[in-house]
Amino acid sequence: MALPFTSTIFGWLAKVGRAYRITVEHAGALGMLVWDCTKAIVRLRVSFREVLRQMHIMGIQSLPIVFVTASLAGIVTSQQGGYQLISSSPRYVLGTLVVQSVVLELGPLLTAVVLVGRIGARITAELGTMVVSEQIDAFQSLGRDPIAILAAPRIIAGVLTMPLLVGFADVIGIWAGMLMADFDVGLGSETFLYGARLFWHSWDLFYGFSKSVVFGFVIPVISVHMGLRTKGGAAGVGLQTTQAVMFMILTILIVDALFPPLLLQ
Amino acid sequence: MIEYRNIHKSFDIPVLTGVNMTVETGEMFALFGPSGTGKSVLLKTTIGLIVPDQGDVEIDGLSVYRGPSDALERVRRKVGYVFQHAALFDSLNVFENVSMGIPEEDLARMPRADVVRKVWEALEIVNLEPREILAKLPSELSGGMKKRVGIARAIVGRPEILLWDEPTTGLDPVNTAAVERLIKRLSRELEVTSLVVTHDVEGGLLMCDRVAMLHSGTLLFCGTPQEFRDSPDTVVRAFVDRAAAEAALDMAST
Repeated sequence: MALPFTSTIFGWLAKVGRAYRITVEHAGALGMLVWDCTKAIVRLRVSFREVLRQMHIMGIQSLPIVFVTASLAGIVTSQQGGYQLISSSPRYVLGTLVVQSVVLELGPLLTAVVLVGRIGARITAELGTMVVSEQIDAFQSLGRDPIAILAAPRIIAGVLTMPLLVGFADVIGIWAGMLMADFDVGLGSETFLYGARLFWHSWDLFYGFSKSVVFGFVIPVISVHMGLRTKGGAAGVGLQTTQAVMFMILTILIVDALFPPLLLQ
Repeated sequence: MIEYRNIHKSFDIPVLTGVNMTVETGEMFALFGPSGTGKSVLLKTTIGLIVPDQGDVEIDGLSVYRGPSDALERVRRKVGYVFQHAALFDSLNVFENVSMGIPEEDLARMPRADVVRKVWEALEIVNLEPREILAKLPSELSGGMKKRVGIARAIVGRPEILLWDEPTTGLDPVNTAAVERLIKRLSRELEVTSLVVTHDVEGGLLMCDRVAMLHSGTLLFCGTPQEFRDSPDTVVRAFVDRAAAEAALDMAST
């Protein structure tokens, strides 16, 4: 009778052990990646031109999708806020609601989610393909450091670009929310901005941008890490990209949840 | 001279289990073996692309894994590596790909005209017309041309040793023969030590001064091409017979 119970316990312990080993492996490899990137940056082995190229890909080329996402976020927040507040609160509170929602949460989070799909997945697939086609080995055989050439520029570009994109998303989201407030509940822009200013704290802007810097770091670090660990052929690249997207989204949501207790107390 | 000493490597299962092998300076050496016996793994241990679990590689007396901290860097400057599928960088054109073969420090201080001249010469050596292909991306090249560009990248830095990983895989018999002639010519003209990992047994036997065969993770045979052909070992015989049959089938199908 004890045997099935014992085997269940051991099976469960084995799963926990495996999950722990995988977590520690990833944490160690991520730590090494960040350390190697830091060394490459300090030793000035990172190409400034490549950083600019990556910033263009991550920033300029992401503007249309960030514009659409931020506009819709502002519009929906304004509509739902208007629906909830119209009969119970002064209408100018809608300005507060939209601006606070966009600056504190929607701007950074939705921009990060968009970049996971547009940039994170792309980096993992690109580096994964380079691994399986031996291009990373080729870099090493030629005495080049793939971390300095491929990883560091993407991470620097992510950290520098994300706050700019979030700033853009904030402006667009607030602007779209303000237009919708006028259209939906007849709230003029002056009243909307009055509400926005009434409960405004400069700290909120710092909070939103802090998030964007962390997200801008997390996305390229995880996507590079996952890309460089790719095994197998095309199927391996596909699998690794899917896992990388899940890993990035989960990490972003966890980090997002850690921000309020750390910075909004 | 390349010396492999007691090389062990496992990927969940053991792949190499105590390989000892020496490639003399200036010789052309072919390494045969069935798929999955670790030929490419052994080749990659030469320049640290795969680190052995145990054992060491010495190149001209310099220990790759037990030597000074810059040993790997020094070894990589001496060695040109030709990858199985060329491994050209997708986002770079032919000129940029080949110029990556010039050591980074040399590239930084070399006038651009010299870089162009070196790349140009390397492409001519592998029988490519530089004017036509310098600006092309790898995706615009045929399989045979990609291989040649990969070879040009490996030789542009004037290495002392060339490592060839399945240089004729995926090529038709005409291109295979052309690449084999190229390997032989380059090894003689550039006076390099060549270690060729190949499935093409007949080609390897014709090209090389000495050959070796890996089987089940160990070195089963090492000797001259004639000794390999005459080997009484049943595994070697079976391998030679199967390779001859496959070659005949290839010829018949073309």
